[in-house]
Amino acid sequence: MRDDSFSFKLKRGFGILMMLAFAVFAVFPILWVLILSFRPATQLFVPIWETPFELTLENYSAIIGTNFPFALLNSAITAGASTLLALLLGIPAAFALSKSRLSGKFLASWLLLLLRMAPPVGFVIPLFLIYINSGLIDTYAGLIFAYMSLTLPLVVWSMWTTFNQIPNEVIEAALMDGASIWKTLVKVMIPIARPGIVAAAILSFLLAWNDFFFALIITRSETVTAPVAVMNFVSYASVDWGAIAVASIVLTLPVVPVIILANKYIVQSLGGAVKG
Amino acid sequence: MYLKTTRRLMAAALAGAMALQSGAAFAQEKTLKVLLFGMPSTIGLQALAGDFEKETGIKADIEIIGQDVFENRITLSFAGRTGDIDVVHTPAIQVQRWVEAGWINPITDQVDALEDKDDFLKGPLEAYAVEGDTYALPFFAEVGLLAYRKDILEAKGQQPPKTWDEMLSVAAAINTPETAAIALRAAPGQGFNMFVFPALMWAYGGKFFADYPSDLTPAINSPENLKALQVYIELLTKYGPQGVGRFNFPEIVAAVQGGQVAMTVDGTSITSQLVDKEKSPVADNIELALPPSGPAGRFPPIAVHGLAVPSDAKDPEASFKFIQWATSKETMAKIALNQAYPDFTRASVASIPEVVEKYSGIQPNFLDLRVEALNEARGDYRPLISTWPEIGAALGENINGALNGLVTPEAALEKADQEVSDIIDSQ
Repeated sequence: MRDDSFSFKLKRGFGILMMLAFAVFAVFPILWVLILSFRPATQLFVPIWETPFELTLENYSAIIGTNFPFALLNSAITAGASTLLALLLGIPAAFALSKSRLSGKFLASWLLLLLRMAPPVGFVIPLFLIYINSGLIDTYAGLIFAYMSLTLPLVVWSMWTTFNQIPNEVIEAALMDGASIWKTLVKVMIPIARPGIVAAAILSFLLAWNDFFFALIITRSETVTAPVAVMNFVSYASVDWGAIAVASIVLTLPVVPVIILANKYIVQSLGGAVKG
Repeated sequence: MYLKTTRRLMAAALAGAMALQSGAAFAQEKTLKVLLFGMPSTIGLQALAGDFEKETGIKADIEIIGQDVFENRITLSFAGRTGDIDVVHTPAIQVQRWVEAGWINPITDQVDALEDKDDFLKGPLEAYAVEGDTYALPFFAEVGLLAYRKDILEAKGQQPPKTWDEMLSVAAAINTPETAAIALRAAPGQGFNMFVFPALMWAYGGKFFADYPSDLTPAINSPENLKALQVYIELLTKYGPQGVGRFNFPEIVAAVQGGQVAMTVDGTSITSQLVDKEKSPVADNIELALPPSGPAGRFPPIAVHGLAVPSDAKDPEASFKFIQWATSKETMAKIALNQAYPDFTRASVASIPEVVEKYSGIQPNFLDLRVEALNEARGDYRPLISTWPEIGAALGENINGALNGLVTPEAALEKADQEVSDIIDSQ
């Protein structure tokens, strides 16, 4: 059905305009930072239209000599590991919550969510003291464990709803054919729930990747992550805007292809559609 | 079948966790943990850590972080009494507060036992005296100087201003749309606008308190302070660059280096960047001079940084050994030669020929100028009391508000006075 009426065209035009405005609003700061990252130190505060050809790769080469690449690696290790571990533990947990007839499962899931209800600043001091006394401060294990308090609830809750949408008959059929519960999960449920898993994985990776607070408190020189390392470009008598711009861009880059590639999964998952 | 898989998974997870743990244990050798924030002198010190190990056999793990990260880190570490910092960077304006909180230990006896104690500049060393005890040794003392474009002043037939009143007339004479006459720190903060504004306050005869340190009744809303604030506002709003109401030191450095501003008064850590030939296109035209004075005298801004031993440090003697090494004549001289570090705190370093040669490249009388300004600076330029961080923040906000026209200067000082009074009373 085509609607050629004027009011429809007006509405659609308005919609496009709104979307464009929002896109500019969202993209403009990133563009600005991107331009800054290619500007030499002396031109950082000069408008780009006054000296449009004063560009340099100096900021990028300078940052290689700092500990930022190392911090980026730390971010990748800890965000990746905490996501993997959360999937490993969270998917079976969500499966059990969704499909078993356990008593008290609502209590269990609620307790899990409790972790996310409390703002991190509320439990930072005890967490910090436990970490100091158990030697977990400035270790990968410590940071990964802390990030799992972010990623695990997300995985369990999002996978729980995903599994709920898969009819019980699918499981019954698998069991009927002689599959064990594990085999049913691994061979039947996980393939069906793949869009949900991808979405949960990406969202939890981003949660850990972008974290500043935990890393600020429980990392030191050995495991410092990129969001904290950026702050080190702000020093006593100078602020290295060029380095900060480069760091921000580099910190954003790995996320972009992931989002684009996984876009359809995320939309599917959040939209609630499950294809058999 | 699935049990086996589970076991294998668990074994793998455990092995992984243990591998991560052992890596961490390896890093936890017995070393001195030194926590500093980033500035040329600390970067220079970090590069020399090997020398310390060679001399004493003690390994020093010097970590340099941003100032904000630093604040968070020490607050948690000290409040949690974790003992994971052996030597800590101690700004002089924080020392009263840290002593009150019991975060750092006195090192009076060790300092008094130093043979060359008198070599330390008196003002910076005294900044660390709290109730008769010494709590840190200074490694950095920067002092405010006037930096001006001599080409611009000469072109307009102007002499560098000796007083803040002259500053007004010089600014009026040289101000052009392309190059604003002056920029001063304006962003609110005890270390931002409140690093520079007290220079005007003191110069016009103003003060913070009725009779510091015995009577801490605020004296912020005095006619002298009002005069100072009016001059500060007139300078910046009439003769400052666009957006100066939000300027902090990075913007000032950029604006002067970029030729958009002709004069500033700021610390040597800033002015030394303006005369740095590698970074500053206008370096050859920048001349440094003593900061302007007023009816009550000259009061150069001053900032001192030192090294202290946290009260939960595991081996305080080793910690002091590090401080002694880091503030020794030899170490300071090396850093002065390797970095932009004219802010050393030992008088003898200024007479080492190589050091003299390097810094006379900036301007023949640069080191003398610095010492002269340091000698004139008062140690309590910013009051040495534990509530200064809050007081400085309150004053900074109100002064910035007046500069940006949100309130009148009178109302700003009245409000600041009330806020300071509340902070003192809540003690």
